Amino acid sequence: MLNTYIEKYRKNNFQFILIDNSGRVLETNNPILPIKLNNKLQNIHPFFEILNGLLPIKNECFEFSCTNLDFKKKIFIVDITIRTQNNNENLIIIEDLTKHYKNYQLTAQARNESIINSQILELKNEYLLEKETFKNNFIANFSHQLRNPITASIIFSDLLIDSDLNAEQKNYLDIIQSSNKDLKNRIEDILDISKIESGKLILIEKVFNLKKMLHTITAAFKFLIEKKDLVFNFEIDNNLPEYIKGDQYRLKQIITNILNNAIANTNTGFIKLKIDLNYVRAKKANICIQITDTGRGIDTDHLDSIFDRFIKIESETISNKGIGLGLAIVKYLVTEMQGNIKVESEINQGSKFICNLGFKISDYNQIKKKELLNNQLPHLDKKKHILLVEDSGLIQLTILKTLAATGQFYLNIVSKGEELVPNIINKDVDLILLSNTIQNFSAVHLASTVRNLPKKYKKTPIIVLSTKAYKEDLKRFKQNGINYVITKPFDKSKLLQILHKQLK
Amino acid sequence: MIVSKKIVLIGHFGVGKTSLIRRFVEDTFSEGYKVTIGVHISKKTVIISEDQLISLIIWDLEGQDDIKKTRPTYLLGTNAFIYAFDLSRPVTFENLKSEIHFLKKNYPNTPLKVVGNKMDLVNKEYLKQYNSIFNCLVDYFVSAKTGSRVESLFYKLAIELI
Repeated sequence: MLNTYIEKYRKNNFQFILIDNSGRVLETNNPILPIKLNNKLQNIHPFFEILNGLLPIKNECFEFSCTNLDFKKKIFIVDITIRTQNNNENLIIIEDLTKHYKNYQLTAQARNESIINSQILELKNEYLLEKETFKNNFIANFSHQLRNPITASIIFSDLLIDSDLNAEQKNYLDIIQSSNKDLKNRIEDILDISKIESGKLILIEKVFNLKKMLHTITAAFKFLIEKKDLVFNFEIDNNLPEYIKGDQYRLKQIITNILNNAIANTNTGFIKLKIDLNYVRAKKANICIQITDTGRGIDTDHLDSIFDRFIKIESETISNKGIGLGLAIVKYLVTEMQGNIKVESEINQGSKFICNLGFKISDYNQIKKKELLNNQLPHLDKKKHILLVEDSGLIQLTILKTLAATGQFYLNIVSKGEELVPNIINKDVDLILLSNTIQNFSAVHLASTVRNLPKKYKKTPIIVLSTKAYKEDLKRFKQNGINYVITKPFDKSKLLQILHKQLK
Repeated sequence: MIVSKKIVLIGHFGVGKTSLIRRFVEDTFSEGYKVTIGVHISKKTVIISEDQLISLIIWDLEGQDDIKKTRPTYLLGTNAFIYAFDLSRPVTFENLKSEIHFLKKNYPNTPLKVVGNKMDLVNKEYLKQYNSIFNCLVDYFVSAKTGSRVESLFYKLAIELI
């Protein structure tokens, strides 16, 4: 009974072909491939050309699973068994599994496509990451390259302003100084963005005088805004705490970037800076900074992208000299400070930026005392010997001029790293100013060489003049016995203040 | 008399083995990807000279990420191998050295051509990155899409097989 069923349900799936030793068909049932007797199987389909090699091997069984046979425009996916015998009768069994293999094909298709797509995605990500890293490194390196000439330009303009100049020359110098400042700000912006993108921008929290900082900002911007024939209104809430703990430089950057943006986009009317105390809770002050202008406003379509990088709302009538990074930096800094920022705007009516930030309040008396001490340059008992290791002629001259103007220092300059140790041993050196861009020598290497010298020399303070000030660089400098790092571009007062502090 | 020779194409899935064969046999190309399961066999006769024809029986094997997984009966009576990989997907050639070693060790007298496909998707700068792999191991850079060097690959292999 079972055999009947087997016969009934399986027979159409199997084809049995008997062939002689040359491949000629002796007998066949034809449920799958219609094959004529006496034809050579090799001529039916190229697969069977394999018989030429297999038929001479007697009494063997060869199995070929999942073989695609396209036959008269139809594809059969079959398992083929070839049984060779030594009696000139060889058996070919073909089992049609097309349906089964087609299902398998669908699964394999989905699996392979998904694997390939994820590999391609991975490659694209790698490529984008490489591109991004290249771009950030390029920007960072390029900006660093500009730091030496800008430092020199800033310091020499500062020195020049103290000299005897006529009105016209002073006017020219004003323009140079203003351009220096602009250039410095642009480079700082680009560097900040590259730091943000590579996750290297960190906030440095210190106690500072908030009211004093705001006073400095309003004084500087009053001049800038009124120069453009605009009215500057500012309201600073009297209840604001005087001393708070936060990143003063970055808070200042938030306010000045928004104010600069307002100036650039306003031609008539006013710009208003309003700073209020929202509330004080658990010794924390939450402040609200509002900057309003009567400028050209922002289209509703652009409001969402206003904080994106390199986004500038173009206008034919307004000359906007920024590069579109200011607000992107603002947004990042506000977010890093756990604050929030929003903008309200109406086209041709103006814009209003509202930013809320929280800061810890600090003790007034202690800070005041410290501040007083910090602001005074410590008195030096005698003229000090400074050894400068720097291969940039421009920076050598800049520092020489700065120190010479004070009359408090002797300066010895060397350009090569290998001259450092002989100079320390053979000459009086109270402090080493070390560039981190000396050819063939890193500042870290030179500093550790000094720290390994005999006791008499190894304690000499070392200040590094660096174009790089990433967190990991600063850590490395400190670990290798470097006392302080001054980042380029620097100005006269900063250099002198740090020298005095280290020599005290 | 026409001589028949069996050529087996192997390599990872999705490297374009079927496309190479379709380009050579039918001179067509399709952008879509259709997975080959098991084996698909095609035939093309190549004219070497006026009195010399060769029939190439080309076995297109299902792609495997490891050559050792290939069903051994598929390789019976192979006269030449073409090992294909995708130039644009490093995962398909990162084990090239060991795959070739395996073939050369187990089929020492069978000609082998190592072929980087999808040449149209990469540029010279990209290829330079992989000089250490490509310089010493790869015989042909081809593109099934543009047809570049596909004919030449099979034709030269056919000559070698006579």
